[in-house]
Amino acid sequence: MGFRTRQIHAGVTPDPMTGAILTPIYQTTTYVQPSVDEYLSKGFTYSRSGNPTVKALELKLTDLEGGVDCACFGTGMSAVLATMLAFLEAGKHAIVSDVAYGGTYRLSTKILSRFGIDYTFADTSNAAAVAAAVRDNTALILTETPANPTMKCSDIAAISEIAKKAGAVHAVDNTFLTPYYQRPFELGADISIHSTTKYMDGHNATVGGAVISNSEEHATAVRFIQNSTGTIMSPQVAWLTLQGCKTLSVRMDAQSASAMAIAEFLEAHPKVAQVAYPGLKSFAQHELSSKQASGYGAMLWFEVKGGLVAGKQLMDNIELWSLAENLGSVESLITHPVTMTHADVEKAERDRVGIIDGLVRVSVGLEDTEDLIKALSDALDQV
Amino acid sequence: MSRFLNFDTLSLHAGQVVDPEFGARATPIYQTTSYVFPDTDTASSIFNLERGGHAYSRITNPTVGVLEQRIAALEGGSAAVCTASGMAATFCAITAILGQGDHIVASTQMYGGNISLMKNTLPRFGITTTFVDPTDTDGFRAAIQDNTKLIYGELIGNPGLDILDLEAIARIGADSQVPVMIDATFNTPYLCRCFDYGANVTVHSVTKWMGGHGTAIGGAVVDGGNFDWGATDKFPTITEPYAPFSGINLWEEFGPSAFATRIRAEAMRDIGPSMSPMNAFLLLQGIETLSLRMDKHLSNTMILLDYLSSHEQVSWVNHPSLPAHSSHELAKKYLPKGAGSIISFGVKGGRAAGKAFIENVELASHLANVGDAKTLVIHPATTTHSRIDADALVAAGITEDMVRLSVGLEDVADIKADFENGFRAAKRISKG
Repeated sequence: MGFRTRQIHAGVTPDPMTGAILTPIYQTTTYVQPSVDEYLSKGFTYSRSGNPTVKALELKLTDLEGGVDCACFGTGMSAVLATMLAFLEAGKHAIVSDVAYGGTYRLSTKILSRFGIDYTFADTSNAAAVAAAVRDNTALILTETPANPTMKCSDIAAISEIAKKAGAVHAVDNTFLTPYYQRPFELGADISIHSTTKYMDGHNATVGGAVISNSEEHATAVRFIQNSTGTIMSPQVAWLTLQGCKTLSVRMDAQSASAMAIAEFLEAHPKVAQVAYPGLKSFAQHELSSKQASGYGAMLWFEVKGGLVAGKQLMDNIELWSLAENLGSVESLITHPVTMTHADVEKAERDRVGIIDGLVRVSVGLEDTEDLIKALSDALDQV
Repeated sequence: MSRFLNFDTLSLHAGQVVDPEFGARATPIYQTTSYVFPDTDTASSIFNLERGGHAYSRITNPTVGVLEQRIAALEGGSAAVCTASGMAATFCAITAILGQGDHIVASTQMYGGNISLMKNTLPRFGITTTFVDPTDTDGFRAAIQDNTKLIYGELIGNPGLDILDLEAIARIGADSQVPVMIDATFNTPYLCRCFDYGANVTVHSVTKWMGGHGTAIGGAVVDGGNFDWGATDKFPTITEPYAPFSGINLWEEFGPSAFATRIRAEAMRDIGPSMSPMNAFLLLQGIETLSLRMDKHLSNTMILLDYLSSHEQVSWVNHPSLPAHSSHELAKKYLPKGAGSIISFGVKGGRAAGKAFIENVELASHLANVGDAKTLVIHPATTTHSRIDADALVAAGITEDMVRLSVGLEDVADIKADFENGFRAAKRISKG
């Protein structure tokens, strides 16, 4: 069945008792067992270990990614953490995209490094740099493509090949494009990670995360972490996310079309120094983007001439676009990564990977394209 | 489970069958609009009221259904219908049996919304009301007309706190073959089960003590199952064939729950003031601790009654537990655990002093609700009862210096300390 059908129906079957067309919100901690001998016969014991509403979302995301299992988490960060804990241990080494989300960088350098895990931050947009970073003890390669906020893309197939040779797990953070546009398993990856907070929910209503595995072995490892660390998703969040997923493709198509128009508008604007959007011919990895994904998404960044000062002026004056963290929602958002999402990354490291001071990141929402462009145009006039 | 019938047990278990699919201990939240039918025969029998089952969440919903059964069990009724608000419950209950040309005898001391419904809204549809002082039991009998089809009152009047002599009123109802409908919001079934004293229907704003946490608006109508609708021809909506459901006779088919079924079949279907499943879930959580909360509400109330009665800035204190209250004996009879946690009192210095008190308390919230876990205060003359005219204000027992207090569950020492600030401010104002 097609994606649009599956995003609505996968994982959800009418409640056998009442026929309720939507999965009920099982806001319950525990499950009454029929007898000692039949312990677990109905599949659930305690909502940290599993919950029927969360399970419905897990089944849906498994289906959409084309994997074998999914484990949902309280946030996207706990999904990243679970992936690292599932495949790394003291003495092991991980290669992490040097342009990964600031929170991933912080988790690696400030927390997991304390437990004897070694990291190399590699330019994963260059597969050769990944190959060069592989060591005997490399157990995990974590990429994020397109990356936040630089939009740099990693070649999923090439890196999956490197991982396979190294005996390492290749986990791809697929948050920016979602399985609607990009399916990492078809390109050889082992794990797909999501902040479901973004396009899956799509309405700024929840924070959540998911790890989808493409093998039983990996799924078991992730499930073990989900249950033993308890960084789980709540049934209410799962239910809202189930609703959001039903319009995923429709939102992605509309928001991406607007992003393309906005990128073209900005590229032609005299006050804009540069624009990065994978759909633009001028984008360095336009060819790779077109090859490994069927759409370009709704994230882009640009630099206003005049650097940081001009960028701040634009963001302080703009209407309609909200100055807010998060991305992927129907509301259009504008952010300044250097002071907001990536403030924890040291300046030298930011400059090295291309998060320049004047970089303005935008998450294109579902408003009318002409209104979004007009608001940008008016704000640029004031710079 | 039917072996366990005591109040606290019912407040935790009644109405809930443990989810057979997964065994979920808590009631699932069926946040769904509709239900997939296994086959067309089942579908048509659900639509015809031939069998129970869910079709569409405006009519029934499994989560709301658990709450309905729980409230009916606590109240000792035959069935309950939950609604989007307490006012919707009152409206649906009245219009289930009354129509153009019919008449209500009602208490003067009721929530302003109830008074407005009967005084302003129902007359537009040909339903008139005679209002009677709740302490004048004979007045209820005298007000009965040939076309009277309902006696309506609040067991604990709002805001005068006069108690209805329920047994006497029920006798008048029985003698006149007219059902007695009681708004039991202020007492809840924990303090008084009105059907035990002959009431026929109760309505509730479950927003208040039943829910208890100020999180969800909701109402309930409970059918006492104890009124003989077929004894006269006064109630054709219950006893005559109902055309929309193939001429079904609700009285013959449903007997003791015919009245509740009429609300389900008509009001929920044609008017649609349904309770949301999420609200039902929140309200179920609240009811689990109903008796614990009520006991604490009542003990705090008694302590504050002592405190207010001896306070130099207080001109009068009104609560049925006080021996001086005209309903004190009735309170002891119908509400032996305590006569609710609403206190009204006057602040010396009149309107300005009352206003200063309310503006200078900090812990007690100034808002238009009662029965929250948090202590609430309000000035009825300018808020809840502001839409009724001066005469009705007097009739309802409201004075300009009146503060209505809904006693919460805070540490009572903190409530007193908070009130001291309010009284100091009131004193400054009244000294000019």
